[in-house]
Parts: sequence; structure tokens; C-alpha cells
Amino acid sequence: MQNSIFSTLFSMRFLITAIRLATPIVFAAIGTFIAASSGIGNIAIESIMTFAALAGVLGSYLSGSAWVGVLTGIAIGIVTVMLIAFFSMKMGANAMLIMIALNTFADSVAIFVMFLMTGEKGTTASLTTPILSTLDIPIIKDIPILGEIVSGQYVLTYICWLIVILLFIFIYKTPTGMRMRACGLNADAARTAGINVERLQVLSLILSGIFAALGGVYLSLNYLKIFSRGMVSGQGWMGVAANGIAAGNYWLLILAALIFAVFRAVSISFSSNSAFPTDLVNAIPYFAVFVILTVVSIVNYYRVKRGKVEEH
Amino acid sequence: MTDNKNSKYSKNYKLSISNPKLFDAIKMTIAILIALAITFVILCLISKDPVNAIKTILFGPLSKKRYIGAVIESFISFAFAGLAAGVLFKAGGFNLGAEGIFIITGAVVAWIAASPITTSPILHPVLCYLGAMLVGGILMILPSFLKAKFGTNEMVVSLMSNSIYAAITAYIVRNWISTAQRGSVSSKDYLPTARIGYLYEPLRISACFILLIVVTIVLYLVMNKTKLGYQMRIAGTNPKFAEYSGVSAFRLSITTAVIAGVLCGMGSTTQLLTQTSYYTPAQSLVGIGFSGMLLSMLGKNNPIGIVIAAFFIKYLEQGAAVLYFVDGAVPSEIVSIVEGIVIMLISSQYFLRRLRERQLLKEGLEEHAE
Repeated sequence: MQNSIFSTLFSMRFLITAIRLATPIVFAAIGTFIAASSGIGNIAIESIMTFAALAGVLGSYLSGSAWVGVLTGIAIGIVTVMLIAFFSMKMGANAMLIMIALNTFADSVAIFVMFLMTGEKGTTASLTTPILSTLDIPIIKDIPILGEIVSGQYVLTYICWLIVILLFIFIYKTPTGMRMRACGLNADAARTAGINVERLQVLSLILSGIFAALGGVYLSLNYLKIFSRGMVSGQGWMGVAANGIAAGNYWLLILAALIFAVFRAVSISFSSNSAFPTDLVNAIPYFAVFVILTVVSIVNYYRVKRGKVEEH
Repeated sequence: MTDNKNSKYSKNYKLSISNPKLFDAIKMTIAILIALAITFVILCLISKDPVNAIKTILFGPLSKKRYIGAVIESFISFAFAGLAAGVLFKAGGFNLGAEGIFIITGAVVAWIAASPITTSPILHPVLCYLGAMLVGGILMILPSFLKAKFGTNEMVVSLMSNSIYAAITAYIVRNWISTAQRGSVSSKDYLPTARIGYLYEPLRISACFILLIVVTIVLYLVMNKTKLGYQMRIAGTNPKFAEYSGVSAFRLSITTAVIAGVLCGMGSTTQLLTQTSYYTPAQSLVGIGFSGMLLSMLGKNNPIGIVIAAFFIKYLEQGAAVLYFVDGAVPSEIVSIVEGIVIMLISSQYFLRRLRERQLLKEGLEEHAE
């Protein structure tokens, strides 16, 4: 049994699976991060991913082009975050409650729309949808090991990693990004310095919605190629958890998202192995998030506590 | 709260919009009307006979005793989920673990209900309740404890605990208490002694109904008349103030988590012993525990409001089910659209605010003129 564990974990297929699984979690993580950097805790990532995943399939089906599907998904993502912004900023509602409500409704609303379009409540498999393809990179693809990993991934995976780099430059190297972080650090101070806090917060929310939507669209147009109910299954929350672990450190955020993806890959690789109880193997990623988040917070707690003791 | 007191003691107390309680009621009514109007628009788009469709949603459940009985039977466990969320939210906690507790206490109930530990038809359900309440109360503590002690993100941790508890439940049911009688993974049939009978059969009213009323009243009193309730209120509205007035945030969050877990256990037991004869663990995680949070928002964390909201939602769901039976074009999920709009509107502080301010100004001027 030990042998089979090792051969599964250190195979090329496992690595490729992990990279594929990482994309939506990384999208969710950067979506949470950008909102958090301007001081907004966006916990609606999960619902945005659900809405966008469905909208992506429907847009692609109705227009006949997968890229239009991607744009539809993004549009729905933006609409959802604008809804949150409207109710929390203009109507004085508790943003947290609005987002919890959205997450709770996401599945029923998606099922409602799906039923209207397909007459089914399970999946959109009955729609023939154009989907996004994988991308072979000309020269790299012929390099033995590297080629297998880097080339032949889904299009949105490449876009994801491009965004990861661009977002880093945006947040840490551009004036707008720095102002955004200033809002997150101290909104009153930022306002005093002449920054339009609300506008930057809305901008960061919109970006957050776009990234989450891309994560959702990736699931339905690239990874699974259909929309099925409950398909997001906590991947948005893993992004939120990664943000909680990162505590403002961008590369730690990406690392955390990758670790969660590896645990998802472990869970998927072993769920077909009858030597393990399937029910428990399915919960591995959630258990990993639970344990990592708890351990990180305990470590932080004692670090702060020790700091305080030294001060006295 | 202070608003309320002012109006109570003000000299010319009037039944007008300036009375906050009445204003809340008006706000709720208008929110429901707007939601129904939007629902009607949606029905116009998808149904051939929208007028009849909205009529069926609103009055369909009253057409047969069986329908209203189904509402009464199903709203009780739903209301317990709402009360659990209400207790947590009232104290400002964001522990979203109710779903997992509902699922895992289901396994406890199924296990006790299928074991011949007693022959008494009264003691057996009571033991089921006690077992579920005990397990629920203990397991609910975990996310709240981590948050209160170490500052862990309780929302993420509790959501993960939902999935973990669901996996453990599936494992327990499959390996320990499953039966080969059925194709799907499910527990053994409950013994007849464990099932809860009806006090009034046509409307499906059982002892659980009385239990819910008692629990609601007790919770209402605890929340409004006791020290614990006061602590919950101030911790929910202003955590800093609570801290400086000496409320132990740690003890409070553990206490509320235990109460919420116990309520989830009650809800789960009620649901299983009245509506099922064996337990099938949920395949997906979007169930009663999450809907409970919506109830608590609808009922504004007030136990009585939550119970009314639970009845209202189950009533609409039954209406939608009747409609789906009549007109297959309208999926029953339409209820969640009504729910969503109402929740968004009533949680908006500024919704209808101008109306109220204008009235207050007018009354103030009149008073001044006198």
C-alpha cells in the first residue's frame, strides 16, 4: 500500500492534476486578497464562482463562442459584487450578512436558472457548449519533463498565472495599488490624505469579482466542461482561507492556494483507491484547510502574546 | 433599543411611522410586496398563466388540509435551525457550523432510534433528543473556541467543519449503522417506539410543535430579560463596549455556541423522527443549517420573528411545490428569489429611511407649533 501511495504522489499525472486544480483556488485567493487589500472582506467568492460558472456555460451555449461565455461569466461576477457594494455602501446593510445570504442562495438561484434553460436540475450536460481548449506552447512542449508540465494546460490556467504576476505589480508597484492598500490599512488616514476610499474599494471589489468569476468560468468551461450543481464545492472558501493564512503576504497567499490544491489532488487520486474509505478521503482538502488555518492562527496567537510579554 | 424607549415614554405617543416597531412592520410588508411583485414579473416570463401561478404560490397550501399539515410538520425543524443561527448572530458570532451539526447529529439520532434501548414510546424519542443535543452542543463549540481563543477565521473553519462532519457522518452510516435493505447508503429503520406520533393527525401537529413553542418562549425570555441576553445584545451591537463593560467574550461565544448546537440537535431530531423512517446522509451541503441563517436575518434575530419567518418560508415553499405540481414550468426554487429579495431589503438600514425621516420631521414641527 505504501508503495502505491508513493507511486501516486510522485507521478507526473499527480503534478499535472495539482496544477489543474490550483487554478480556481488561486483565482479565488487573489480575488479575496485584492478585496481585502482595500479593507473589504469578500466572502461571497463561492457564490460569484457559482454564478459565473453557470453564466459562462449559458453565454457560451447561446453565442456559440466560449470566449463570449467567459465574458458573460465576468459580467455576472461584476454584477454580483456591484450588488454587494450597492447594499452595503448605499443601503447601509451589513455586508457580511448580504454575502452570507448570497452564498446560501447561490445554489438555488443557479438551479432555478439552469432549470429554465435546460429543464434539468442537475447539470447542463444536455447543452452542447463550445468550451475552451488546452494550449500547446511550441518549443517548450518538446522539452521532456518541463514540456509535459508547462505545455498543454488549459488556456485559463496560463491567464491565471499571468494575472498573478500582473496583480503583484499592480498592488505593490503602482500608485493606485498602493492607495488601495492604504485604504485597507487605515481608511480614515487614507481619506485625510485625499484618497477617494469608496471609489478604490469599489474598484477592488470589481477586480475581486472578475477574478472569482474567472475561477468559476474555468471550472465550467475548461475543467469539467459542464455546469453541475454544487460544483464549486468550497473552492471559493479555500481562497478565503488562503487569504486568512497569508495575512497580507502575496506570495504566501499563492503558496497556501497551491498547498490546498495539492490536498485536493491527493483526495482525488486516492478516492478511486479502494484501500481507503472514500467518504473520509473526500474530506481531505477540507480537513487540510481546517488544520492549516488553525495551526497558523495558534502560531500567530503565541507570537503576539510573546511580543506583548517582552514589551512589559 | 433607545429609540424604542423614547417613543414609549414620549408624551404624544402615536400609531404612526415614527414608532420604530410599526416602522419595522411596514418595512417588512413593503419588502414582501416588492419581492412578490418581482416574483410576478419572473412568473410572467416563464409561466403561461402567471396570475394563477402567483395565486397558487400564495393560497395553494390552504387548499388542502394535507398541504397545510406538511407546512406545519416541516417548519418546526426549520425554525430550530433559525433559532440556532439567531443565537449566534445576536452575539455577533459568525459560526456557520449549523449544517454540519444537523448532519452529524442525524447519525446520532439514527443510531439511538434503531437500537432497542427502551420500550417506552416516550423515553425513546427523549433519549434521541438528549443524545443529539449533547453531541450538537459539544461539536458546535470547536469553531467558536478557535475564534475566541486564537482568533482563527471562524467562518472558514466552521464551513470546513461542515464538510468534515458530513464526511464522518457518511463514514459512520456506511460502516456502522447501514442496512443492506436499500440500494443507497442509509441507516437501519428506526424502531416504532422512537417515531413521534401526531397529537392532531389531520394537521400533523405533534409534540414537537409544543416543544418549539416552549423553546421559543424560553429563548425570547433569555435574550430579553436575562444577563446573558443583555451580554449577547451588547456584544452583537458593539463588541468593544461589551469588552470594556467586563463581558467575557470567550465565555459568551462558548455559551452561545453550546446553545446553538443544542438547538441544532433538537432540529435534527425533530426532522428525522417526524419526517423520516431511516436516515440518509445528505449528498450536498446546502441544507437546513444554511437556510437557518437566512431565517435569522428575516426574523432580525428575534426568536418569535424567526419562528414566524420559518412558517412563512415553508408556506411559500409548499405553495411553490403545489405550483410545480400544477405547472411544471416553474421550479420550486423560485421561493429562494422571494427570500433573497426580502432579506436584502429588510437588512438595508436606509430602505424607506427618507419616508420615516420626513414623518419624524413633520411630527416634530407639529409638536413645536403646539
